[in-house]
Amino acid sequence: MDLRQIWTLYRHEIRSALRERSILLTSIILPVVMYPTLLWVGFTGFYFLEGQAEAMSTRIGVTSVPEVHEPLVDSLAANPRIEILEWTDDERAAAAEIVRGRMEALLEPMPPRDAGEALDGNRTIRILYTEVREGSRSARARIEDVTNAHGADWITEIRRDLGVSDTVWADYAVVMSDQASAEDVTRFLLAMIVPLLTLIMVALAAFYPAIDATAGERERGTWETLMTVAAPRSTVATAKYLYVATFGAVGGLLNLAALALSIRWILSPMTNGVGEELSQGGVPLSAIPVILAGTALLGLFVAAGMLVFAVFARDFKEGQSMITPFYIVILMPALFLQSPNLEFTTGLAAVPIVNVALLLRGAILGDIPFLSGLVTLISMGMAVIAAVALAQFVMRREEVLLGSGQGGLWNFLTRTLRQGRNGS
Amino acid sequence: MTDPFVETRNLTKTFYEESRGEVRAVDSVDLTCRSGEILGLLGANGAGKTTTLRMLSTVLRPTSGEAWVMGHEVRKDPERVRENLGFYSASTALYPKITARETLRFFAQVNRFPRERIEARIEELIDRFGIGDFANSRVEKLSSGMKQKVSIARTVAHDPPVLIFDEPTVALDVLNAIELRQIIGRLRDEGKAILFSTHIMSEAEQLCDRIAIIHQGRILAVGTLDELRKSTGHHYLEEIFVHFARVRDPSEAEVESLRRDRP
Repeated sequence: MDLRQIWTLYRHEIRSALRERSILLTSIILPVVMYPTLLWVGFTGFYFLEGQAEAMSTRIGVTSVPEVHEPLVDSLAANPRIEILEWTDDERAAAAEIVRGRMEALLEPMPPRDAGEALDGNRTIRILYTEVREGSRSARARIEDVTNAHGADWITEIRRDLGVSDTVWADYAVVMSDQASAEDVTRFLLAMIVPLLTLIMVALAAFYPAIDATAGERERGTWETLMTVAAPRSTVATAKYLYVATFGAVGGLLNLAALALSIRWILSPMTNGVGEELSQGGVPLSAIPVILAGTALLGLFVAAGMLVFAVFARDFKEGQSMITPFYIVILMPALFLQSPNLEFTTGLAAVPIVNVALLLRGAILGDIPFLSGLVTLISMGMAVIAAVALAQFVMRREEVLLGSGQGGLWNFLTRTLRQGRNGS
Repeated sequence: MTDPFVETRNLTKTFYEESRGEVRAVDSVDLTCRSGEILGLLGANGAGKTTTLRMLSTVLRPTSGEAWVMGHEVRKDPERVRENLGFYSASTALYPKITARETLRFFAQVNRFPRERIEARIEELIDRFGIGDFANSRVEKLSSGMKQKVSIARTVAHDPPVLIFDEPTVALDVLNAIELRQIIGRLRDEGKAILFSTHIMSEAEQLCDRIAIIHQGRILAVGTLDELRKSTGHHYLEEIFVHFARVRDPSEAEVESLRRDRP
């Protein structure tokens, strides 16, 4: 194979693609700007809504509060954004008002139970609200904060009156001790999302180049021009394959780089440093070569698969409809990865796509079983070789070259098998 | 006489169609084309012209028979064949996103024109085909006349000895068609062997040194216009074409007339 010819054809494909607006947008710009935009828009929207909720005036109905708990109502009334309504009607009428949005919540002490009567004010306090109204949810949160604080004060006061010291009182307590550091939590979160996002972005970035390299040639009328150049068909197919794989892998890597930078430069300032913790403690340096290799493997596999499907298309529209099922199928394994209990076993390492996703997850968590890693490389290597061989075989066939065959890959395979059986 | 640049022997191509079964698109075609000659392939639409030329340019693989371009057999050495020919047709478009200059460079490189001479060759082509004013413009921005010039220039970018023009004037207006025919004539004068397919009789008359009449996949006659006139007794190529086509495929009326004339 003439490497110089491959380079000439490859450079030609890349140059044309970089001047194609739709390819540039989906394969380069989208992966780069997606996270900054999403994070910025998401956080701005979140803070805006939160600010609006805070500024919102809340009407809270209060009914039959025992004297001992009147400080609770006073605390609520002290908030200038809360308006206290003396509610005298029954509970059903209050619920109707809340549903209609005329009142946000009702604070209602329940009748004392038998044992509770021993202590004045020992009552359950019920808050009526509706989860489907933002104002009502916000009112519930406000009441909850105030009632919890009031409850703690009230109990402390009673305890002191009863002569129970702080030491005795605090003797029994349940204390959570999370053994995972902030860094571990960060890695866990990244390990959940990075494989999925990488897979999506590699597939998305390879999508349009795969159509452009095949159906695009037909639609432009350049396919026959290309078929008459003095390069073997395998060279043309290899150059096209490398072009699509490059865009897939580069799109995936740009996306990861954009994610890391977005966390550091956008999430961190907006969350008072949480993002900084995330970006610093996220991906260990040792994981980076594995992520690069995994993304490249994904690019190589996805490119070959997409070319095999797209090569039968006569125009862009047909190309899109032929590739889409493959796109969906390769995203399926990502659904399994949402279970953190999934182990990177040797068996799973033999399943293409799933293995790379687990490899990326393992790299971020700093835990890749040697055998599974090795099986992944072998399995993906074989899958890539098989996909490339199929792509080369298909792209050399006359009916595919001329676009004279009917249907897509499935029709082609059944037709080829039938002809093989008939010996023609 | 020098060896032909292009030669075919019993060149045949059959396709299989679900509805029609086996279709013999080209049937035992024998042709030669020498340096400095334009061989016209004259036939109606669907006669087998494009299939023949696609086999010669190795886009299609012959079902049987042989064909050589500059001594290279199309099945055994397709890359060498393509290195020695330039293929132009109404369906061989240009890449819209690259400039005219980049187009010429790409086709010269990929067709293995000597690397050290590529830039000089590009300048020569730009000058020769009057591309200078738009050499650095993207092809998508060019008019159809400009695109045609770039397209011919890219066909000869690697200076191939054999050129194939498959119905090149089909989509062109009169002036562009005349200009194209003049260019093809000049290329013949430079010693190129040119295969030129058309269904336009006047075009074949004006341009071709020899004409091969192809009908239903078979070559019915090959010769100079004078030779064809002598052999048929007709003056105009249209009459000559109809003469051969009727011998091969007589109309029902003619068959009936032959039956009546029978003693």
